[in-house]
Formats: sequence, structure tokens, C-alpha cells
Amino acid sequence: MKPASLTGSGLSLFTMETTEIVIKENGTLTERIIRERDLNAEQSVLDALTDEMTRTSRHVLSIPGWGVAHANVGAIDTIWSVPIKQLPLNARFRLINGVLVPMFASGTDVEMPLVWQAPEEVRLVFVVRTIREDDYIKVAGNWLFARDRENRTYRLPLPNLHDDCLVCTGDFKDRFETAAECIGASLEQFRKSKWNADLMRTVAQSQKFFRFRPTNDTFETLPCQAEDWTKLCDKVCTAISERIVL
Amino acid sequence: MKNITVKYGVDSISKQVEDDFTFGDLQQSDTFKAALGFGDRTKALLEGIEQDRNIEIPSGATVRLETAANTKA
Repeated sequence: MKPASLTGSGLSLFTMETTEIVIKENGTLTERIIRERDLNAEQSVLDALTDEMTRTSRHVLSIPGWGVAHANVGAIDTIWSVPIKQLPLNARFRLINGVLVPMFASGTDVEMPLVWQAPEEVRLVFVVRTIREDDYIKVAGNWLFARDRENRTYRLPLPNLHDDCLVCTGDFKDRFETAAECIGASLEQFRKSKWNADLMRTVAQSQKFFRFRPTNDTFETLPCQAEDWTKLCDKVCTAISERIVL
Repeated sequence: MKNITVKYGVDSISKQVEDDFTFGDLQQSDTFKAALGFGDRTKALLEGIEQDRNIEIPSGATVRLETAANTKA
């Protein structure tokens, strides 16, 4: 229908009324009356209508020793994204053909606090979800994601990570006065935690991904043993990963 | 046949499927898995609402897949 219309208008104290005369394609004349009035919407109505809306804000906080935290603020929670360049790997390692590789399930190999340096093409992001309670801010989960240059998101070949990249952190103090303290505590727990065999799949992919060469005074991170690092990971998409800010 | 669009992260694909193609069929489809890279554990959402695997996908629908969380082993 492609209506032609004649328009008139009237004004009352409370409503705006518009009358349109529509000529339909078959020649019928139709009167259409539109009444408009402002509604005194309660805050609860506005909250319900904007329940799933989020707002992104970059460089919101500076986290000492880690860098900046970007925020995705929702009605009930905030998702904090902290880009990280290195991964603390407190785990057991074994020297195989001159290359040190993780042995997460081992009980006998040497335990070492190595730090894996992420190559430029692997964009790591540590995510903290915070929820505001009555008089404190609470940590409601930590996630570890890897992103490629096209913003596809991946689960690293690590144990202690659920399929949705939720980190199995163990218990730690998770209630603070500020979100900055929540993020700091989450990262500190992440830094000092040991990687064990919980949620482990196959260690073969981990050993192709996380490789080190002992040098005289340190351990050098070696490139992944794959043409495409994403082939050693699982592609993921979750409600949390969609809110990452990088 | 009906046309559906499936999104998984930043990637999406539009494809013609059989009229009785369900959300479960989609989640198990090797063709869609290969094209979009999702695994065995997913949930399917339509307009943000999780859908039962037995329900037929409406014609013209845009389905969003998400990685489903596992429980601790």
C-alpha cells in the first residue's frame, strides 16, 4: 500500500492528536487518528526496557603491574577487560628434546613458575565480572580469552579453564569496596595460582602451544608449534566474550 | 526448503536447509560446525532466548550460537 495522506492536527492539554486521511490504492478514503501523550514511566519500567543494554568505556582503570582495564557496563553487572601480554604458568614442566613443555598432570616433574610471553598475533584478555551488592562490589567470575586479529575468540589449550573460558580460580577474597580492588585481587589470584590437571583435555596441544627454551639465566618463550595458533585452540562465543573490550 | 542465518561470534553463514530442520540438527551439523568452528557443546538462541533442540527453526530466522559451559570434572 502506498498511501497519500492529508494531515490536520489538534492539541489538547494532555495529548497531541493527529488526523490523517489516507487514500488507499483501491480508492477508499480512510481516516486515521493518532494520539500521542508523554508517559510518566517509572524507573522500573525504564530499567526493564534497558535491561540488556550495555555501554562500553575504554581505559577506565589502571591496574598496577598489569595495565589498563576497559569496561562494559550493564544494568546488573560490569565486565572488565584487562589485555595481558604474558601468562604466568606455575606448573610442572619436562625437558623434551631441549624444549621445556608443561606436564600439568604430572606428580614428579619439576614445578616452575614460568612466564609465557604471548606473540603479537595472540591477543590475551583477562576478564573480571563484578556485581554491585548493597555495600560492596563482588567478583562474579574470571575468564581468560585469546583473540585473533579478526576478533574471533578462542579458548587456550590449558587446564583449569571451562569450555566457556571461565577460570577455575579456587577460593579467594572476592568482596571489596571498589571494582579496582576486585580486578586487582582476581589478577593476583590468577598470577599466583598453580595450573593442575583439573578440566584437562589433551596435554599434546598445550605442549605445542606453551614451549620454552632454557638459556643461561632465564627461559625463553618459543613460538607455537603450529602454522596457525588458532588450530591448537577452541573457538568460543559466549555472552561474556561478546562484551570484551580491547 | 527454508533459508536460515547462523551466527557464531563474528562469523556468520546463510544457508538453505530442509523445512523440518531443528535447532538440534543445526547444533549437530558437521557442515555448520566446519563453516563456523563451533564444537559439540553449544546453545542456540533466537532473539536472545535459548531454544529447545527439538524445535524447528523458523524460516528466515537468524540463530545465534553460543559455547555452552561445562561443569568441573
